Amino acid sequence: MFSHPKELIPKIDEIGYVIEEDIATVLFLMLKLEKPLLLEGSPGVGKTQIAYILSQLLGYDLVRLQCYEGLDVNNAIYEWNYQKQLLAIKIHEQSGKSARDKEAHIFGEEYLLKRPLLQAIDTDTRKILLIDEIDRADEEFEAFLLELLSDFQISIPELGTVKAKEKPLVVLTSNRTRELSDALKRRCLYHWVDFPSEEKEMRILKKHLPDIELSLSQQIAAYVKKMRQLKLDKSPGIAETIDWAKGIMLMKDLDDPLYVTLSCLLKSERDIQLVKQEIF
Amino acid sequence: MDHYTNYQSFAAALVGFNQFARTEGFNNGISCSKDAMLTALSGIWLEQPFFEHALASLFCKTEEEREKFSPLYRQFWLEKGTRIKSRSTYNNKKNIHRASQNTLVMAGLGKSKEEGVLDEGKNTSGANAKDTLKSTDFSKLTAVQSELLDELAERLVREMSLRIKRKRKRTNAGQINIGRSIRKNLQRGGNIIELFREAKQREKFRLLVLLDVSGSMDKYSYYLLKFLWSLRMHFKQIEVFTFSTKLRRITDQLDDKDIQTAFFSVSRVADHWSSGTKIGECLREFNEQYHKRYLNGSTLTLILSDGLDTGEPEILDTAIQKISMKSKRLIWLNPLKGMTGYEPIQRGMQVVLPQLNHFGAAHNLNSLLELENILIHA
Repeated sequence: MFSHPKELIPKIDEIGYVIEEDIATVLFLMLKLEKPLLLEGSPGVGKTQIAYILSQLLGYDLVRLQCYEGLDVNNAIYEWNYQKQLLAIKIHEQSGKSARDKEAHIFGEEYLLKRPLLQAIDTDTRKILLIDEIDRADEEFEAFLLELLSDFQISIPELGTVKAKEKPLVVLTSNRTRELSDALKRRCLYHWVDFPSEEKEMRILKKHLPDIELSLSQQIAAYVKKMRQLKLDKSPGIAETIDWAKGIMLMKDLDDPLYVTLSCLLKSERDIQLVKQEIF
Repeated sequence: MDHYTNYQSFAAALVGFNQFARTEGFNNGISCSKDAMLTALSGIWLEQPFFEHALASLFCKTEEEREKFSPLYRQFWLEKGTRIKSRSTYNNKKNIHRASQNTLVMAGLGKSKEEGVLDEGKNTSGANAKDTLKSTDFSKLTAVQSELLDELAERLVREMSLRIKRKRKRTNAGQINIGRSIRKNLQRGGNIIELFREAKQREKFRLLVLLDVSGSMDKYSYYLLKFLWSLRMHFKQIEVFTFSTKLRRITDQLDDKDIQTAFFSVSRVADHWSSGTKIGECLREFNEQYHKRYLNGSTLTLILSDGLDTGEPEILDTAIQKISMKSKRLIWLNPLKGMTGYEPIQRGMQVVLPQLNHFGAAHNLNSLLELENILIHA
């Protein structure tokens, strides 16, 4: 499909995103080696977006599993449709079928509720599987994932092992609120996603807001860079920068549009006050 | 020096690079060499910067490893005969801000320190600069290290608090409650169509901290207070008191998001900083004035003190017994416990030891971060 990482950069540019050589190389490698990709970085740097970019680039559907504390097999892999099974038992009560036949029937695929991980594997078409914020899930869930990430198969006790017909391309993201296990990391390619440089942020702004003036995007990128160096409760992410730029462009007739639209960028009163004090 | 030209084939060089990385602390298996070979074969062999990015994605597993990787890569694959000096962000003195005058007194930084003591911080063993900082005794930190430790501690405490909050949620949340499921489905003729699941509940969490700020704790109390300030930022159910010859409640003063402002407020309240030690009397005062408000069955009490009490042991004994009885767990962290050869033979420590659920050290960041396990299982 692609014979060099360089080829990915213009293709991704065409679909409206800015990427650099490092991430292009990792995506290229992910496609070549068919290994899961683990992206770590601060919130708002665009980790999740990379999975969406891949989905658009390759034309594969994206299946997303949002992790949270307490996430278990029932919510991530599969669950039996209990109500449907119960109704089936009632219906077959008078059918004369043996208990074994009834059991085989109600534990068939028809009664299986596929959750994201199984959806990504048990399919004829290739999928992008996004396991978002894996650091929010418990360590036990990480252990569940190991089988999936190395062999691309899932064991269901009643049905046996479901092996991927088409290996999904797996992207895991983590905000690094805790260290992930070595076993999980060993199975993945790793990439640390940092906040973009000023120059890259300007290119992103231009991509999303083609009408933006060069001087304004320069000013915004420089201000945002300074803000990220402050100890804010929440450092502004790329999406917030774009929102801020939109806000400034809408309010450009006001006296000080950068100042009055700060709430597009900063999400707490303390942060706004700190930025006003230190930067403006 | 290890360089790819020292190997007879490219495959051997890749294996050599893997071994070289391992000697530098990277934890890579054989599959890493195999994947690196496949990567090279895919057409980006020695093509800068793609080959470096590709190998980095295979070899690195953390942000820190990624920072360390580029010099190693250059040393092995590019530069022959030049040794790359490892870059440490921890030597950067540019961003160091001096503590304000108000906190200097609490920090004890104005006082003279012996040169040998300063060097000890640098010599503490550890895999990298962060590990070294985490395991350096607070009393031996330089001003530069102190600032860097603040940043590191803030991040680690934030991560720790997130983990604790998550872990403390009931583990049986979402499980089926058979009794309630049957009752709920009585209207359906007893057929259990809908299952009743336990709701997720949070257990109440309350932490009471009593920090010794007497003269003998001078080298530690400033750092311990910083740690408590970080904890307070993430857990609102924390009450903090300082004691030496007097007891002072400083919870509200710590409640400022700016550490300098918070410490300024504390310095105005804690007028007993660096004075003598009357642990027993201060704990008795706590019992008389505050225990009904702040101690109940769910409170975890944490005392940070060296236990060098100059008061009557009987007073301390009675006071600590009462606190122990009213707390869910009583933990005593003593900075002296981190010293080699330390034995808790002081009068004060002898009295309190039988009442404690846990007795640990509090001399460096690592020992404080161990609180995580205690808080999770409390």
